[in-house]
Amino acid sequence: MTTMTQPVSAPNAARPGNGIAQARLARLRRRRWIADLLVMLLWASGAAAASLYLASGGLATWTSPGGVITGLGILAGLVGSDFVLVMLVLAARIPALDAVIGHDRALGVHRRLGKPALYLLLAHGVLLVIGYALTARVDVVAQVVQLWQLPDMPLAFLAIGLFLAVVVTSLVLVRRRMPYEFWYGVHLLSYAAVLSALPHQLSVGGLLAEGTGQRGYWIALYVLAIGGILVFRVARPMLQSLRHALRVERIEWIAPDVASIYLRGRDLARLGARGGQYFFWRFWSGGTWWHAHPVSLSAAPDERRLRITVRVLGEGTRRLARVPVGTRVSFSGPFGLFTDAARTSPRLAIVAAGVGVTPVRALLEGGDIAPGEATVLLRASTEDALFLADELQTLADERGARLYSSVGPRARHGGWLAESDRRRGVGLRTVFPQLDESDLYICGPAAWAEAVVADARAEGLAEHRIHMERFDW
Amino acid sequence: MRARAVWGSALAAFGVLAVGWGLGTAGSPGLTPSIPGTSGVSGTGTGGSAGSGAGSGTGGSAGAGSTAGSPAQPADGDYTGDAESTPFGMVQVSVTIQGGRLSDVTAMHLTDRGGQSVRISNRAAPILRQEVLAAQSAHVSMVGGATYTSEGYLASVQSALDQAGWH
Repeated sequence: MTTMTQPVSAPNAARPGNGIAQARLARLRRRRWIADLLVMLLWASGAAAASLYLASGGLATWTSPGGVITGLGILAGLVGSDFVLVMLVLAARIPALDAVIGHDRALGVHRRLGKPALYLLLAHGVLLVIGYALTARVDVVAQVVQLWQLPDMPLAFLAIGLFLAVVVTSLVLVRRRMPYEFWYGVHLLSYAAVLSALPHQLSVGGLLAEGTGQRGYWIALYVLAIGGILVFRVARPMLQSLRHALRVERIEWIAPDVASIYLRGRDLARLGARGGQYFFWRFWSGGTWWHAHPVSLSAAPDERRLRITVRVLGEGTRRLARVPVGTRVSFSGPFGLFTDAARTSPRLAIVAAGVGVTPVRALLEGGDIAPGEATVLLRASTEDALFLADELQTLADERGARLYSSVGPRARHGGWLAESDRRRGVGLRTVFPQLDESDLYICGPAAWAEAVVADARAEGLAEHRIHMERFDW
Repeated sequence: MRARAVWGSALAAFGVLAVGWGLGTAGSPGLTPSIPGTSGVSGTGTGGSAGSGAGSGTGGSAGAGSTAGSPAQPADGDYTGDAESTPFGMVQVSVTIQGGRLSDVTAMHLTDRGGQSVRISNRAAPILRQEVLAAQSAHVSMVGGATYTSEGYLASVQSALDQAGWH
């Protein structure tokens, strides 16, 4: 481990006023309350879906095996559809949601709901076929044929097939084996699935018949979920992109595979972006327009300029780093809690690996950080991979932050530091002696970042002090 | 924070479910508009139907006295069944008894909420009628994909037969 710079003031100088500490805690408490309320809302909405059935007196039909199975099938369909709508809301990139739990965590919940929702919808289909068949005393095949002939039911069968495809292609095992573009294309089908499942709910599903309160509630849910997508994933980014008129100003290669892209636009202060946040960028050039990339700012934003730094990891990022100067850029954002706003403690311990250094640089530049408060550890396998190291050193000097680096092959047994440092006994506590009064910010490749988080937990660092954002969705 | 979220969620979910359950077991009278003149067309004097019976199920009519006089043979005539409410709308039928046989079932009102349910009930009604006439009873199987219509239809048939003193 190498010390790249010394603090300009003694570490102990950093003691925030009581007011600041209290304000941070109050913010944390508020965020947690809202997060808890959101969890409650999630479960309450599932229960409400089931209640629609109960309120219509559905239990009165539970007098025969067929009736019970049919009832369970209806319940599964209601709760499963509710989960699907919640998933839409979670993926809608709603700024208020991002400010509370972070878009990456919202997507984590989205991902966790995927399989339960699919199982419920599959159970819906299977149970109803069996239930109806029992009641009508016909065999299952005949029942499927009969259902198929009902209005809107072919669409519903199509929807279940689409849901199946979307979830299967999202399974970790499957997803690793195919290009991102394929997954993305299939995932877009979930909109088609949601929409083609709707008609049969309103027509064949007697529960939501016209004139019932249930129908009103159900339609309101759909309006909310689909409206959220339209507003926050389509309309708002479009308007923002038009207003700020971003274009590529220049591209600077800072390493053979890393490029900084400078963007120029107008009125950028109104975005309210903070160092450490990211946007979804869409570059309107030939090979890049169809796909938005989540990339962090690598410099604190100002009125006319933004800068991002990308590492060429695949075909998509390679094209990105080669777009012509003047290319129009649309975006949605800013997102993320990797900012000084999420601080809960007097000190900052920051660990970054590889190109993960970019939000750290922006955080250090733009964040509200007092001299002596921050300590930064950079991790790379070679000196050449310490991207933006010069800029970071300058910033660290200016802001009175300590800057260390750990360079070399990664430690073999589950370590996240260089093998040589590991052997010398370097660890979180030696780099950050005041870890217990620090917020730990981590940015880097997923597996590496998980190792740091595991280490921090083992050291007893409270969960709310660990700040990590994922970019590998 | 976990514990608060867990308990809060459990409480919220159970609360919502309890409200739904309460509404459901209150007999959903809100969903059961009564049809004026339900007691209508009875040919004999066996007393009108018991009004627009709220619950589904067998909905036995209260017009008992009829069976006392002639326990063996129901009198000929038309008997109007109860109006059964379903989420798709009202279902009500009348049955015709002639010479001790159930000779016809006439649909007076079928599920009609939403265009689809009209189609569904139009498909289901003739099948149900045939089954009832063949079985001479309301205990026949339901038509798949038309559960509500079937339940309402058969319950209404049953209540009409009850009025007639049919066994």
